Amino acid sequence: MQQQPQAPVASATQPDQLESCETTAEAPPKQVALAMERLGQAARLIADVRLGADRLLEALFIAAQPHQSNKPLHLIVNEEATMRQHLQDLRAVGRQLEESGVLNSLRSRNNSWGLHMPLVCPDGAVVAYAWKRQLAGQAGASAVDRTRLALKAFTDQRRRFFPHLEDESSGQTSGVESGVSKKHCSSQASTLTHKEEPSEEKTLPEVLLRVEKEAPNMRIFTYQHLDWLKRASALSSSTNENFIESSKENNFQTSNRLRTGSLGPVSADQIAAVELLVPSVFRAIISLHPAGSIEPDAVAFFSPDEGGSYIHSRGFSVYHVFRHLTEHAVKALQFFLGINTDTALYNLLHWICSYETLFTKSCCIFNCCFAVNVGGF
Amino acid sequence: MPLKWLLHWQPNAGTTVNSQILSEVSQCVESINGAKEGRWKSTLTFYRPVLRDQTLQAEYPRDCLGISLQEQPNKYYFILRSQRIVLEADSTIQMIMEKLQSYKSRVSLYFEGFQYQLGDFQLRVGKVVPTHSENLRGIVMEVEYLPISSLDKSRQIMEDFVDIWQETVSKRSLPGHFMHIEPNFAEYGLSDHYTSQHTAVQYAIVMAQLIASVRN
Repeated sequence: MQQQPQAPVASATQPDQLESCETTAEAPPKQVALAMERLGQAARLIADVRLGADRLLEALFIAAQPHQSNKPLHLIVNEEATMRQHLQDLRAVGRQLEESGVLNSLRSRNNSWGLHMPLVCPDGAVVAYAWKRQLAGQAGASAVDRTRLALKAFTDQRRRFFPHLEDESSGQTSGVESGVSKKHCSSQASTLTHKEEPSEEKTLPEVLLRVEKEAPNMRIFTYQHLDWLKRASALSSSTNENFIESSKENNFQTSNRLRTGSLGPVSADQIAAVELLVPSVFRAIISLHPAGSIEPDAVAFFSPDEGGSYIHSRGFSVYHVFRHLTEHAVKALQFFLGINTDTALYNLLHWICSYETLFTKSCCIFNCCFAVNVGGF
Repeated sequence: MPLKWLLHWQPNAGTTVNSQILSEVSQCVESINGAKEGRWKSTLTFYRPVLRDQTLQAEYPRDCLGISLQEQPNKYYFILRSQRIVLEADSTIQMIMEKLQSYKSRVSLYFEGFQYQLGDFQLRVGKVVPTHSENLRGIVMEVEYLPISSLDKSRQIMEDFVDIWQETVSKRSLPGHFMHIEPNFAEYGLSDHYTSQHTAVQYAIVMAQLIASVRN
């Protein structure tokens, strides 16, 4: 393909630049390769010139010393010839580069291939394709943007989950969200009193046992990971009959006194989900990671009447009140994990056990959006 | 299932309920951003025993109410208020009753109106009209809280909501106010877990109130 735009530049060349005229008929990659080669040549010539200059200076220095022979004079003469040749070569290469648009690429923008010749940037960098630099620049810019967004997201999350690390009074969350004319009154995060109880519970069964004693109305079931998903899908909006039946189904105990909702015996080290059910009040799901440990990694609240595969520790209820509750619970979880990972599960369960005040202390405002104030310890 | 409080309009002494009040109440709901969802209708029927021997009248309950609820299209509910009995039956029982001719339906009333969604609440504002006339006999309102089913646990929330509601309505200076009567569900053998039978009982109570207020 003819390289048309290069022709006007090439026509200004002298007859001994036929070589460059030929090269303009070639495809850009070849031109680029040639140009790169010439730039290399030019660099070498420049190095030679520098070296020659050093030698000349040395020769002059020696000549300046007294009692010297003709040696420096020879040196200088030889060097001068070499230098002259180098400079001529350099000039030639320079002209070739100029013709092929390397040095003038900023001016010759009407390149039909849309590619600019190798660009020697003001900072001395040689870029084979100018558009590469542009792309790199764009990538750099977007990387900056992305970093900025990531930082912003991180700060938001941090503010949300670790309010006590902020300078404001610990535990206070503003709770104001934009919604369709819905204002939430500022719900107080649980005012937790940090009990310095030495926790003896190191295993899951021990933790659950202790919690069971504290909240006799709350039923605790444990599941392997997939078993919970099956159960969640099987949950349906319960009528009276369903409710009674399902509660009977799950009420069998295994030998190690863990009430398991999984079918078949489940050893404690496979338990990945804990279900807390307070009939007619809520259903909470806590997931443990790794399975069998006492490290909770997510929690969510739902209405006991809700059913479906979205009922899991990272799901959200269809009801506002349980969504709010889930948000609070997540904050509490992060808070407990921040204090002490070993006791986090127990603390979280204990916090949930204080649910008695869940629906009794409510603060509500005119447009009837209730923010539930969950009682603390 | 979600629990529900049934409120009824208590007109001031010497006044009667009228459609103006109904439209004002509907506007109240809309003013607190209730989103209108659709219509609702429940039917209440008075049954009177059909006896050949009138002397046995005293042995049979005088007020046998039958209720058909919108949310339970396949069921029919009977309430004997004096005996504190509530019964849930299949909706075909009405056909059986007609065939048996043991009880005849005397008067039927419609509770009908619009339904509104308000966050986790569902409100139904309705007028009470006899089946074959447009005579407004009363105004009722159902306040339903969707997330939970425990009457006990939800009491505080419901009270707070009703307080807000009363406040909203009172700003309109209407001749009357909404009232909520809490039936003693335990007497009817019902538990804390809410069911449609609870709703049926509430309707029966409200009906009695409406009759009483009309008489006065």
